[in-house]
Amino acid sequence: MASHSDADATASPLEFVRRVIGRAWRDLLSVFYTNTPIWRLLKSVGLLFFGFFCWSASNLLFSYGVDWTILQYVRAYGFVLIFWGPLTHAVIVPYVIRLRRNARRPLARTLARQGSKLTIAVFLVLVLVLGTYPIGAMTLDFGSSLQGGDGGSDVDPDLLCTQTDGTVDCRLSESDGIDHVVVLSGDREVDRADEPPFEVAFHEDDLEEVVGQKEFVVELRDEDGDTLRRYRRSVATIPEG
Amino acid sequence: MAHRFDVLGLFDNEYRDDGYRTCSVTGLEVHRSVENHVKLFGLTAVVALLFGGVFALTVATTRWELIGLLEPGDFYTHLSMHAWNLLIFWMVFMEVAILYVGGPMVLGRRLPLTAVAKAGWVTMVAGAVSINYAIWTTSGVNEAPLLTSYVPLPSEPLFYAGAVVFILGTVVAALPFFVAMWREKRENPGETLPLVSFGAFVTSIIAVEALLGGLAAFVPTLLWRIEYIAWWDAAWYRQMYWIIGHGSQQINLVAMITVWYFLTHVVAGAEVVSEKVSRTAFILYLFFINLGAAHHLLSDPAVSTGWRIWNTSYAFYGATFASLIHAFAIPAGLEAGRRKRGKGRGLFGWLTSAPWKNPVFSATIFSIILFGFLGGTTGVMMGQLQLNMTWHNTFATVGHFHGTVVLGTTVAFMGLVFFVIRTMFMRQYVSERLASVQPFFYSAAMGVAVLMMMYVGILYGVPRRTAEVVENIPGTEFSLAAASPLFAIFGVFALLAITGGILFGVVAVGSLLFGDRVEGREDNADLVADGGLAMADDPDDPVHAYEMRGTFVLCLVFLAAFATTYALNWYLLTQLWSIGA
Repeated sequence: MASHSDADATASPLEFVRRVIGRAWRDLLSVFYTNTPIWRLLKSVGLLFFGFFCWSASNLLFSYGVDWTILQYVRAYGFVLIFWGPLTHAVIVPYVIRLRRNARRPLARTLARQGSKLTIAVFLVLVLVLGTYPIGAMTLDFGSSLQGGDGGSDVDPDLLCTQTDGTVDCRLSESDGIDHVVVLSGDREVDRADEPPFEVAFHEDDLEEVVGQKEFVVELRDEDGDTLRRYRRSVATIPEG
Repeated sequence: MAHRFDVLGLFDNEYRDDGYRTCSVTGLEVHRSVENHVKLFGLTAVVALLFGGVFALTVATTRWELIGLLEPGDFYTHLSMHAWNLLIFWMVFMEVAILYVGGPMVLGRRLPLTAVAKAGWVTMVAGAVSINYAIWTTSGVNEAPLLTSYVPLPSEPLFYAGAVVFILGTVVAALPFFVAMWREKRENPGETLPLVSFGAFVTSIIAVEALLGGLAAFVPTLLWRIEYIAWWDAAWYRQMYWIIGHGSQQINLVAMITVWYFLTHVVAGAEVVSEKVSRTAFILYLFFINLGAAHHLLSDPAVSTGWRIWNTSYAFYGATFASLIHAFAIPAGLEAGRRKRGKGRGLFGWLTSAPWKNPVFSATIFSIILFGFLGGTTGVMMGQLQLNMTWHNTFATVGHFHGTVVLGTTVAFMGLVFFVIRTMFMRQYVSERLASVQPFFYSAAMGVAVLMMMYVGILYGVPRRTAEVVENIPGTEFSLAAASPLFAIFGVFALLAITGGILFGVVAVGSLLFGDRVEGREDNADLVADGGLAMADDPDDPVHAYEMRGTFVLCLVFLAAFATTYALNWYLLTQLWSIGA
């Protein structure tokens, strides 16, 4: 059965557009009021995801410094939709449909007739209010990304190594923020320095060989033993002192 | 009649004297040799899924730093176990089973060279066990490989050997499929393969490309690791590695789409609206899909800008076009097929009247929707030279491939397992209700978790493969603490998704062990599409005579989402910095 009827084929362009829009509106109403369990679920989850998309995309644009007023309302729309979409289609629409079947009192009959319009009106008011006066839960913090999270300082010294007759010596360009330094080869600790300027020395025979390379790792650690920086070096790349 | 190696009564279907039986759901003539091997590979895949799922728990609870379960070193080991078991072993064992279904089973043939199939299985298992053992016992100078095992970082020699053995095992296991196809064409030279067999065949060709790339990557690397050769080129390794690293995910994609065509037809009455168009889309995959692997090298040295742009923009769009064709063709086939069965009132009646309580159907549909909206669109975006800059190596990348291989492939394969439990293992679900709920629960929870991964990656630039970024980035003033609220949502939904995964395990394993036996045709009647599959073969009632406007509307929604996200990403890229200002 084709949807494109003979009447459509002979209609004027204006009439055709009017019919298409009318059909789309009827389809939309039919989708809005369809009330089988799977429809309720699909509509609820679909609107939840769409709301999430609008909310996250708006926040994403804000995080890049875009400052459009319309975005505040798109963000509010998405944020409210995350809750309102499932509420409408899992709770309110089924309730309104039930009321239409068995409402007795005048108030209930009014609710049954106007329930959906009321729901959408409340939704739009919420969007306008939250778009104008956003609350904390719907906004995200982008400002603190370049400030110290837990007061940690920037520990990023250069590791300077030289070797003489098979002995490797390493020192750091700075010592601030470091509690101790360990040298590891495989799972073994081959040297350790607990005091600034944290100079370490070891013989290359103490190092394990892997794929033909004598490698070692220098770890800078804090007082809790957590690693601040890690340098992997191969003896073959270390200059003669 | 039970097989001589039968365990727990799982290989004991009744066959006629010629070794065949007629499937009451699909109508296929199924030979014992095919069915037993499909079960063998399928069961092994599920074991890998359950094993890898354990590490999903430890990995997710580490990335959710409020729990921060593992130390950084252990995290990498667990992440490697998670990646190899779920991205490789679960997928590839299942894909071999799909080759046997799409080839000899759909064609109504015996499985040739059954000894070779068994040898392939043994070799693959040996490779998988070796890789797991090598990763778990990583120590000393070695690093846990994760999935990539980039040269020159050394991993256990057993790991590289295991990878080579597993790849060779997969090639061996695929040989019976190729022989079956060869014999089919020799015996029926003028006939076209059924679409599912055609899809399986395209999958197998892409698989061979990927496996050859894997050998080109891992064999020399193994030789380098055991110091047979002194040096190996890191840039060469990366380019060769990604032929299998991403190529294996393209096998997942094409196998998944083949499963989509198969399951929507069998359980919901979908028909192929245009064989030519669908086959053309598969052919496009054949030529273009593996080029998408190049997006892993977009931020690397050693390849030219022209190479990057060609592979990840112009050529890759050939594969995108193919995906868009399938995105229309499969729902359109479902819509027209169901309308033909009198199940399609209104714009979406064909969809809502579908058998949603059947987990085979719901898993397949969620796979289609979530792969399209979350995995596919993000793949096209991040697979592009310019947009890749904002995605590369962030947690959003992890979100993308969880959108493809979890929400897409894994959910589709879960649906296939549900189908196989009923139609090959001949077991009722241990709980109909749990089986019905599982695809909904798992897909929804994983969908939100995936969105959060993408969101923290794009919004805050949170890196992937890192155990500590929100609580503390050691030794730096830079902080990502602002991402904590979103990580909390991620953590909660990741745990819910893992619960959904456990639910799958409970239903699948429970049904195999304790499910009631399917005795007759009527026990599986609920799986058969409305009106039976014979309707699809009526030449006087062609499927293209039925309207597909519901699918058209859905595709417009999908395209709108795709275009909006694409434009948004481009706009954000322009906001990063000004050139010449």
